[in-house]
Amino acid sequence: MSGTPSPVADPATAVPASPPAVRRRLPLGSLAYAVLAAALVAVAATTPLSGYALNILMQAATYAIAVIGLTVVLGLCGQINLAQAAFFGIGAYAVGLGTVDGGLNFWICLIVGLGLAVVLGAALGASTLRLGGHYLAMVTISFQQILTLVLTNWIPVTHGPDGVPNIRRPALFADGQSYLALCVLVLAIVGWLVWHMPRTRLGRAMRAVRDNELAAGVSGIDIYRTKVAAFAVGSLLAGLGGGLFAGSFTYISPDQFSFAESIVFLTMALLGGVGSPVGAVIGTALLILIPEWLRFLKEIPGLYLAIYGLAVILIVVFMPDGIWGFLGDQVRRLRRTRPAPPPAAELTLSQGEASTAPMLEVSDLSKHFGGLKAVDAVSFTVARGGIHALIGPNGSGKTTTLNVLSGLYSPTGGTVRLAGQDVTRLSPHRRAAAGIGRTFQNIRLFRSMSALENVVIGAERPNNPLGARDRAALEARARAALAFVGLEGRAEEPISGFSYGHQRLIEIARALAGNPVLLLLDEPAAGLNSSEKNALTVLLRRMAAKGLTILIIDHDMTLVSDVASHVTVLNFGRRIADGVTATVLREPAVIQAYLGEDAAAGPAASLKTDLAPV
Amino acid sequence: MMPAATPPLLEIRDLVVRYGEIEAVRGLSFSVGAGEVVTLLGSNGAGKSTTLKAISGLVRPAAGTILLEGKPLEGLKPEAIVRLGVAHVPEGRRVFPGLTVRENIMLGASNRSGLGKRALRDEVEAMFDLFPDIRRFGDALGWTLSGGQLQMVALARGLMAKPRILLLDEPSLGLAPVIVQAVFAIIAEVRRRGTTVLLVEQNARMGLSVADRGYVLETGRLVLSGDPESLWANDEIRSAYLGGRAKAEVLAAG
Amino acid sequence: MDLILQLLFTGIGIGSVYALVALGFVLIFRATNVVNFAQGEFSMVAAFLMVVFAVDLEWPYWLSLLLTIGGMALLGALFNLGVYYPLRHRSYLPVIISTIGASIFLANTTLALYGPQPQVLPPVFETQGFLLGPVFLDSQYLLIIAVTAALVAFQYWFFEHTLVGKKLQATSQDKEMAALLGIPVAGMIMLTFVYSAVLGGIAGILVAPVLFVSIQMGATIALKAFAATIIGGFGDVTGAIIGGLALGIIETFGAAYISVPYKDAFAFLVLIVFLVVRPQGLFGERVAEKA
Repeated sequence: MSGTPSPVADPATAVPASPPAVRRRLPLGSLAYAVLAAALVAVAATTPLSGYALNILMQAATYAIAVIGLTVVLGLCGQINLAQAAFFGIGAYAVGLGTVDGGLNFWICLIVGLGLAVVLGAALGASTLRLGGHYLAMVTISFQQILTLVLTNWIPVTHGPDGVPNIRRPALFADGQSYLALCVLVLAIVGWLVWHMPRTRLGRAMRAVRDNELAAGVSGIDIYRTKVAAFAVGSLLAGLGGGLFAGSFTYISPDQFSFAESIVFLTMALLGGVGSPVGAVIGTALLILIPEWLRFLKEIPGLYLAIYGLAVILIVVFMPDGIWGFLGDQVRRLRRTRPAPPPAAELTLSQGEASTAPMLEVSDLSKHFGGLKAVDAVSFTVARGGIHALIGPNGSGKTTTLNVLSGLYSPTGGTVRLAGQDVTRLSPHRRAAAGIGRTFQNIRLFRSMSALENVVIGAERPNNPLGARDRAALEARARAALAFVGLEGRAEEPISGFSYGHQRLIEIARALAGNPVLLLLDEPAAGLNSSEKNALTVLLRRMAAKGLTILIIDHDMTLVSDVASHVTVLNFGRRIADGVTATVLREPAVIQAYLGEDAAAGPAASLKTDLAPV
Repeated sequence: MMPAATPPLLEIRDLVVRYGEIEAVRGLSFSVGAGEVVTLLGSNGAGKSTTLKAISGLVRPAAGTILLEGKPLEGLKPEAIVRLGVAHVPEGRRVFPGLTVRENIMLGASNRSGLGKRALRDEVEAMFDLFPDIRRFGDALGWTLSGGQLQMVALARGLMAKPRILLLDEPSLGLAPVIVQAVFAIIAEVRRRGTTVLLVEQNARMGLSVADRGYVLETGRLVLSGDPESLWANDEIRSAYLGGRAKAEVLAAG
Repeated sequence: MDLILQLLFTGIGIGSVYALVALGFVLIFRATNVVNFAQGEFSMVAAFLMVVFAVDLEWPYWLSLLLTIGGMALLGALFNLGVYYPLRHRSYLPVIISTIGASIFLANTTLALYGPQPQVLPPVFETQGFLLGPVFLDSQYLLIIAVTAALVAFQYWFFEHTLVGKKLQATSQDKEMAALLGIPVAGMIMLTFVYSAVLGGIAGILVAPVLFVSIQMGATIALKAFAATIIGGFGDVTGAIIGGLALGIIETFGAAYISVPYKDAFAFLVLIVFLVVRPQGLFGERVAEKA
């Protein structure tokens, strides 16, 4: 059962070939890659190529670097960026103007270009604080257009439409062939780095943000910083490609870095498969080489780009994962069986010093949506250790309360204290850092990742006293959490392979891996059949036995009365009962809230008023 | 009050509805006779709203049949089903916020063809006779209304379709008790005028107060049925809402 | 002062064009939640069609006008079926990319069929215009303002006083509920696309005599229409109109007092500023949803 490989939908999520226990040996895959890359570089440097072929290859290599930048920002992080050509241009113009007008060394100009691209890219990424989706698209387009306008019109500095000729290559690579070799080398290095990026902490954070932003936040990921980082890396790579591009053609002009080029980059990324640098290379190669073979297309102005436009639509509709996305599945199946990982340790949860002080204090909490008082001055406390339930009929404000507690809504009034610390205004990821874990009613897992990766993200939450930076320790903790919910054997499988009930368990494991002091469970029994509910009850009791404080919302009263020692009841946004479960569930007010009021004198005679109350 | 010889107006047989992997309705069978008011009860997640959505075409059943006077409805689009005479007043009212009360009610007749402008206007005015409390809000925009007013508008809009059967989803949801009384008084009047109603309610007392028959659902299955008095007196209805029913199962499983 | 009045007139004139395009754009967004990046190309294609019919073929103006508007209606229908419909259940990202692809396709197909030379569409009136006090009222600009006013009035009447207009509004406010009432949602969306394409086309026909008819005009107009909708508040019809007028005025004054070549940059700068500072625009959420 353990170690059996399964097809992973997204090739960018490939887990490393070497198991964590054997760290001394160099990863075999990377070694093979290094050899292959060195061979390619050598071929590029020595095989005699015509000037024309040289140009094509240099263009392909430098473009591919920029397209790999899109792999990071769009493929990994899911953020739309239609200004990639602008950053490409920034790198190109830094090198061009620097070497020609400034007489500076090529490498210095390149580094300046990179710096400029990163800063502007981060600034663009900063706009994601307020915006996403089509707003973000518009901001990036605007940025692109402004840059084109500047390049075309700021003639004293940029030379305007005339462009910058006679760009000098670095002395060491002045020859065409060796320059091509340089480009190939840089491409190889960039490709390797981005290939491994998904499995780094930042890469995982980006994928989590792409898959499910809300869940990423409550798991402790700083969503905003992650997006800014994605933009910065993406534009860094575009600038790098652009700088090398300037050296390859030795002439640049504004129309090479227009919005149309951004679309070309985007199409290359989509065609090859936006999730992986392999896709980027495939897409770039195809879209540069094919038109060369079909050169007649370029003779009719517009035909070439018209086909591009049509291709974009067709790819998006029929082949959203691109060529590599499609092939990647097949490659996945060929991977060797991995050796079985060591058996998982018992999951440890540190609950801090024992204390009689309450774990959670909610005071006068209110949340109003316009005129609607969804939560109206609700107060309750949750004692340390054990399970406390928050219940009430539909529309009573329980879910809103939970959303306020986990930071997804900011309260209209009142305070929330966690173990004495005021967390009322903290963002979701800071609350995770403070020790609040949470699951969602409609299961928010990161669907492109395996069960293990989902849980590792939980383990990575900041300020986790049992957490670690070490990959092996993180994985060990994640496996322990999965073992606790009984799914250790299937850790490597993608989420799509698990039943609904098991997905629920993985979500719980993800929260547990973060070693929370307070766990918020939002309708954990929703959608489960009776045997799954029984298993859940047992699991919850085991969690409580480890000293974990749990606040649970659910409609299933059987579950609630079985696991919760205390219960708070809401109705119409107000607290109507609070106390020991068995007592509260017998209170008339509570029963009325669920089954209906005693009929007061009503106008219509056909209303039956003689139904006996409980 | 169940018509013995004539076939039921609405018949549900072995209905199964899935959301992805979750089975929200697991093999449900029941019927509604012409002129009856039937109430579906059950706690949240029992599958009541899903059943209504399957009837009105918002969701497609995975299995089973839905017959309106013998005519199968499964697979038809909502626009077609409402034309056949099934009006669905969904959970949460969903009054169009940017249109006035009059405009909302007017659009309720969208399933009927051949209605002239003047006739339509007259029908809307006549509808206000049944809902006098909202007449003065005729030109108010949807988003300015309170929950109770919205429920009235939604009901009026549903009735404009001159439906063979009216599906009412949780009319009491989020409303204060005194408003709920008013709403159910209107439902009682609708019933008196002979409209067939399939009512879904969490509030068992109100739901049964206007019903000829009731069914209780739990996790997608029918667990109880009968006339309102016997249902209400039945202890099991309390278990279905407040737990305890399956407790024996849990204890037995260990 | 004279200059200011003149600039104001020109600004309102060009702003009306932006308002028309923005209007079509907002209508599509409200009905389908799609940001149509190809909206500007509707204007560009219409302008080229007019050139083909009225200038190249030398057919009478009214006939060319009818054919062009008919052509735009057809284009809107095809756009709905080919670009929106297959992706209507997908998330926003594929749809944005797809409409961008459509915009590139339309622009470059026109280029391939017609060639890169900018064309000239003569103004409608023989007289250039007339002097009203110190201000010269260009006849084409007067036409633009008049037609825009008429269309806005028509649209107001259509949406507020016809049953179909109400059904369209209902569809854009709650598609599912509209279907439950029996409103033919797919038909309403088709109507929206056709109408928006025609609006965009009319804008293109109106502005063509003032600018050159070129392949790039679509992209420029579209981005300014976006800026207009952002200023007015995304999704708000009145906001789009006011935003368009405001942008036209800002741009005209900016070109006169600050710099001509960077004229287009003003739209983008305003866009960025609003997106960062006040994304909900001047009028924000006009219709608050009941929670």
